[in-house]
Amino acid sequence: MVFPSVEFALFFPLVLTLSWVLMPHPRLWKPFVLVASYAFYMAASWKFGVLLAIVTLGNQLAAVVLAHVSGPRAPKWIVALAVVLDLGILGAFKYYGFFAQEINGVLGDFGLALSMPLVAIAIPLGVSFYVFQAISYVVDVFRGVIERGPTIDVAIYLSFFPHVVAGPIVRAREFLPQLAKPRDPRDVVVGAAVVLIAVGLVKKVAIADTLAREVVDPVFAVPEAYAAPDVALAAYAYAVQIYCDFSGYTDIAIGVALLMGFVFPQNFRAPYRATSIRDFWRRWHITLSRFLRDFLYIPLGGNRGGRIATARNLMATMVLGGLWHGAAWTFVLWGAIHGSVLVGEHQLGNRWRPPAWLGWLVTFHIVVIAWVFFRAGDMATATTFFGRLAVDGGATLVTAPIVAIVAAVIVVQLLPQEPLARARLRVESLRPVPLGVGLATLVLLVAATVPAQGVPPFIYFQF
Amino acid sequence: MQRDEPASPFDPATRRRRAVDAIACVLIATVILAAFAGDSVRRAGEQMQPGLIADVVTAVGHPAGWIADQLPLAGAADDATAFLSPDDDLAGGEGFALSAQPAAAADAVAPVTADAFDPRDLGAEPPTRRPLRRLLVTGDSMAMPLDAELARRFGAAAGVSTQREPHIGTGISKTALLDWGKLSVRQTAKQPPDAVVMFLGANEGFPMRRRDGGPEHECCDAAWAAEYAWRVRLMMNTYRRAGAARVYWLTLPAPRDGDRAVIARAVNAAIRVAAAPYRAHVRVLSTDSVFTPGGRFRNSMAVDGRETLVRDADGIHLSLQGAAIAAGLVADALLADFSVGS
Repeated sequence: MVFPSVEFALFFPLVLTLSWVLMPHPRLWKPFVLVASYAFYMAASWKFGVLLAIVTLGNQLAAVVLAHVSGPRAPKWIVALAVVLDLGILGAFKYYGFFAQEINGVLGDFGLALSMPLVAIAIPLGVSFYVFQAISYVVDVFRGVIERGPTIDVAIYLSFFPHVVAGPIVRAREFLPQLAKPRDPRDVVVGAAVVLIAVGLVKKVAIADTLAREVVDPVFAVPEAYAAPDVALAAYAYAVQIYCDFSGYTDIAIGVALLMGFVFPQNFRAPYRATSIRDFWRRWHITLSRFLRDFLYIPLGGNRGGRIATARNLMATMVLGGLWHGAAWTFVLWGAIHGSVLVGEHQLGNRWRPPAWLGWLVTFHIVVIAWVFFRAGDMATATTFFGRLAVDGGATLVTAPIVAIVAAVIVVQLLPQEPLARARLRVESLRPVPLGVGLATLVLLVAATVPAQGVPPFIYFQF
Repeated sequence: MQRDEPASPFDPATRRRRAVDAIACVLIATVILAAFAGDSVRRAGEQMQPGLIADVVTAVGHPAGWIADQLPLAGAADDATAFLSPDDDLAGGEGFALSAQPAAAADAVAPVTADAFDPRDLGAEPPTRRPLRRLLVTGDSMAMPLDAELARRFGAAAGVSTQREPHIGTGISKTALLDWGKLSVRQTAKQPPDAVVMFLGANEGFPMRRRDGGPEHECCDAAWAAEYAWRVRLMMNTYRRAGAARVYWLTLPAPRDGDRAVIARAVNAAIRVAAAPYRAHVRVLSTDSVFTPGGRFRNSMAVDGRETLVRDADGIHLSLQGAAIAAGLVADALLADFSVGS
């Protein structure tokens, strides 16, 4: 079930109402919200729900066992087993096909008849997100950051419908305490939630999908058919599309959770305002970058082992972060580009800092170039795409509205944020009736931009 | 790596309200949407694949649609937002009514014309190959990424203008979303293509009624297949433009899911029946025998001596490699009829 759909428009008012009605009675509320979350998740396939339940029970079992073992080694073994289970599931569903093809290719090149069986496995929705959340839970219990939660709380944490499909990656220490006691029905940030949902819908449906339909998808499908102006526009348009698609999803997810009384962390903070790649990762998919820092970069040694070790750890973290997005060399290269620039920035340290405008210009274009690999699907398409930038020809896709949309999304991030925040606060303080009327009006306007085939899935659903 | 913790998603100064305000706000929005767009809920339910969710949406959609029908708001909203719509009005099903299937007496003999014969079957010389200038690749999601693969093969270098026009989620038996009868006329009106490649059928199986009345036919008996074949034949006739263009209609490879396989079998049978009067201009390309010989689903097949995944994980669509094989089939057929390259 996707947020901008008729199904969700029927599901959410019912669940929101019953959730607040049952909220004072945790024994009723918790099973209810768990069932609602699984119903939301299993709308795509009941099999996905089984896998989610296995991950939940496996990690909770590890957390229970952790409380009953002692000594220096046993807890480490337990947590290692849980992480192996999580990563094993991720690997089997997400990476098996990729590695089987690559290994078979190498074996074939050496004339070996051995081959791994090829199976087309459907990637369960959101598996990359809830597996990371499961790891964060069991590792934080192991580290003593949090207490083991009741099984139903852990099950709700992993399956909670606003974030189960594409994040944000909420840490157990942020979410489980919110389940410990009923949410306060006098403390709901309704205005902020509705504004987030409205902004998210506009970003996803009106901006991201329009850019995909009009420019990005045609050019990336057959870059050979387009010359430099169209290809350049497609590169910038994709940077805007992926931002509006993913941050739009996140805005809606956070808004929906807020209406239910739960607070998720912020996931985006004007990322195209960044003046360095380090700055970019403080603004883009913040919850993933935080996870990679705490569960990969720092355990690898972080910046504690000197320059070379730090560079190695940064590269490993970013390449694996790239691979997390999908099983393809283009994702690996995307991560490697970001990793290389991070290493360069780290080596430079404070010895030289470019002027802010230059830092922004260089950073933005590195990000845009890296996105081309992220979107291309394979290396051949990416190579062709860049090759077409040198081909003179007409601009068949460059139109004033498209250029205006691309420019507006970037410029809004560069403007001073305080006046925008003040304006937003004024809208958020509206009473429920005008907020509801405004939301409905906006949905009608946004729905009018949807083509006959409907709203395409969010980009991050595939990860 | 960054050291900051994510901030709160809202300004601490934002106003706090009560849960009942949250519910009121959402319910107000829902009621307004039902009044203005209740017919959309009804239509969405009718267009969903059968199942519990479709039943629930339909159960809500019918009263919501009825309310919307009684109020003048839906039409006003449509008029007010029409300037934002990326589509012309291509829904409704009237396109297939332009030429409703004539009722025939049970003992009547259908006429046969010369168009029913591929000259090669008669031992005649095939017509001289014409230059291919405009190629239209269309269909539903099955046509992706076949369209991109064909656009690469017959790109600008070959002097061919390839128009890619997949309409995801649509179907011939699903006219409320998009009417292929209307669309096919539209597609051939401006810049008529020399050749049309059609790969369509992932969303079929919906009940169909003959546009001139009669009972509604459920998938997938002979009556349903006959109505489907009639609609396909109308489209083929539109695309072939009385012989001025060639049509390459791909059959469906068997899907993994058993229920879908039943639909695919009926669709394929209907395509073959539909093409019979136009074999001079319409080629049916049997992807089913290539990818799923004997009607048995398989994920992979040997390509150049190496086992290769040819199907997507959903068990319906072709993978990139599968689409490349299908594109090869289409290319061979196109090159038999057309010359390519300037």
